[in-house]
Amino acid sequence: MTSQVLDTSTMKPQYPWKKSRPTVVIANSLIVVIPMSVYAFFFFFTDLPGALIFIAIFLPIQIAMAVIMTIVALGKRRVGDAVLSVLSVTAFSLVLALLGSVLLSVAARGLPAMRFSFLTQNNIYISPTTELTYGGVGHALLGTLTVVAIGTVIAVPLGIASAIYITDMKGRLAGFVRFIVQAMSGVPSIVAGLFILAAFILTDFVGFSALTGGLAYAILMLPTVARTSEEVLKLVPKELRDAATALGSSRARVIMRIVLPTAKAGIITAVILGVARVVGETAPLLLTTSNTNGTNLNPFKDPVSTIPVYIFQFLGSGYESSIQRAWGAAFVLMLVVGILFGLARVLSPKGKAR
Amino acid sequence: MGCLPIVNQEFLRIKPFSQTKVIRFLNDKNVVETQEITNKSHPEPIRLGREKSRTPSDKAFSGTIVIAALSSLAILVAILIYLASSSWPVLQKEGLDFITGSTWVNSSANPEEQTFQIWPMLYGTFLNSMLALVIAVPVSILLAIFIVFIAPDRLSRTLTVLVDVLAAIPSGIIGLWGFLVFTPVAEGWSKLLNQYFFLIPFFRNDQDQFARSPFIAGWVLAIMITPIITVVAREVLSQTPQELLDAARGLGGSLWGAVKFVALPHARGGIVGGVMLGLGRALGETIAIYFVLNLIFEKVNYFQILNPQGGAIASMIVAKFGEATPDEIRALLGAGLILFLMTLVVNLIANWIVARSVREKIA
Repeated sequence: MTSQVLDTSTMKPQYPWKKSRPTVVIANSLIVVIPMSVYAFFFFFTDLPGALIFIAIFLPIQIAMAVIMTIVALGKRRVGDAVLSVLSVTAFSLVLALLGSVLLSVAARGLPAMRFSFLTQNNIYISPTTELTYGGVGHALLGTLTVVAIGTVIAVPLGIASAIYITDMKGRLAGFVRFIVQAMSGVPSIVAGLFILAAFILTDFVGFSALTGGLAYAILMLPTVARTSEEVLKLVPKELRDAATALGSSRARVIMRIVLPTAKAGIITAVILGVARVVGETAPLLLTTSNTNGTNLNPFKDPVSTIPVYIFQFLGSGYESSIQRAWGAAFVLMLVVGILFGLARVLSPKGKAR
Repeated sequence: MGCLPIVNQEFLRIKPFSQTKVIRFLNDKNVVETQEITNKSHPEPIRLGREKSRTPSDKAFSGTIVIAALSSLAILVAILIYLASSSWPVLQKEGLDFITGSTWVNSSANPEEQTFQIWPMLYGTFLNSMLALVIAVPVSILLAIFIVFIAPDRLSRTLTVLVDVLAAIPSGIIGLWGFLVFTPVAEGWSKLLNQYFFLIPFFRNDQDQFARSPFIAGWVLAIMITPIITVVAREVLSQTPQELLDAARGLGGSLWGAVKFVALPHARGGIVGGVMLGLGRALGETIAIYFVLNLIFEKVNYFQILNPQGGAIASMIVAKFGEATPDEIRALLGAGLILFLMTLVVNLIANWIVARSVREKIA
């Protein structure tokens, strides 16, 4: 008797409230299976194009099936749910298909161009028809690195200062500064390029160079860095600031010694996100750095090549091998962006800032 | 119980000092300056954040921060001034025709005949963006509803990441993909639309060419703005108060009912703002459009979205910049000015709407 009571190992938990509804399972499988088979039938046995079958046959049948099955299994009132589910799954599949198509085609067409020399060699002596074994994006990688570094050096202090002003100093203009930063995040990249062109290059202040490209990048990075660091600085506990102030620290000291070190990881994330935001921008660089085939290590003089502009250049020329080069460069760029975002995710405090 | 009144009576015999006496006493001793002593149990909180900086180094620090914080404003104003001043000769010469005319004649030999007018490009920008919105808005809202209300937790977290990935793809790569991978597919769709709906004027095509049309540009733009709209819509939809949703469900409403009557009205402002943000992005998109759209300067393609004719201000700037004469560059700067003003207005309205709706949610 006692052993029976204590022996719980053989007892299975019961969930009396959890009804197993075979009808729901059947309905769900039918909603997927029947339209799919109709689609397959039309696709394989008629000449109708896939898109047409999908819009004109698959989707209506699926919605109809969903409505019928819902009425049978759950009752009339859930018909709206069925239609909503079908439509939102369609939207989700569409977005997923487009995203998958972009990523897969970059990977599939970019990978064949990948070789060590592609990453290290530059573009001198390369014509649009040269085979892929010669030449590469080395000069463009270095150029991108230079331009991004200049942009970062300019934009990061300004962005962090804006964030400090908004969150820590809470000056009278805090709301206004946030408003302006938001307005700035909407500046089209081409306009940033045009501005640098008009202000620096057309006035003969400096020529096409990595410096002007970096200035254009800085304009685009600044709002991202400012907004992300603002989010991060808000996460610093108020008690820390109060404690530091109570111990007699000046405001500068509180910010430099307490707030910024506490938010260090988040601020690095902000910087990385800012870099990732701009590293693929083509338009401003076309107007500010121009392009070159050789390696240019002087950031203050002469045009420099960058990866986005490299893609632009080779896609424009239209030959088979140059288009392969464009895909290869796109793969490198995608890799760079992916690594940056991965870093940002890993470093961000508890996934709060993305 | 018995002894308590006695103690109280004892206490009552000792009269406390009046407030004025305390102040006089303190003044006499020069301990503190005269100040009002009130009966408030909680004094005013000291706002550390607003405290005036005292030491010179602190002042210098604050000043530096303020100047740096105002740099954004300085940059925006500088953009306006530089674009306006350097394009002024062209703007002055063309007047309002710069926006409404559709001639683009560039002859460096004969400067008198030069004319720079951008109406086809301006209208094309508008047309592309509208097409993009028509495609992206329903998809984004449905996707946001799916993420917030329908998908299981894990799937919705994955989807959120995927949407971020889509947002992170550089526009140059979208352009490359749009030109080489997507255009052949979308050409097929265009032919179908033309074949079955040619009676509708939108889908007429008087040239036997379906590539590089506003339709395809609209799709490419839609891909780029879908993540923007989805992120904002997801954010505001997920802020729908749980009590309201529970109440809707408790009253026997279906999910569709809860979405239609509770979540969507609640999130309307935020979604409109997100759509405007997407519009701002669509207006300024350059490289992707450059590859998938045939820019025509002399004629406006008002509604035939399958025709291989279109326009986009941002792409025009890239297309013309390569071999532009100095005067033409001034015209391009003018076009950039118009684009800048358009996106600025759209973005300011969008941010205002989003901020207002979020503030309402919190209040």
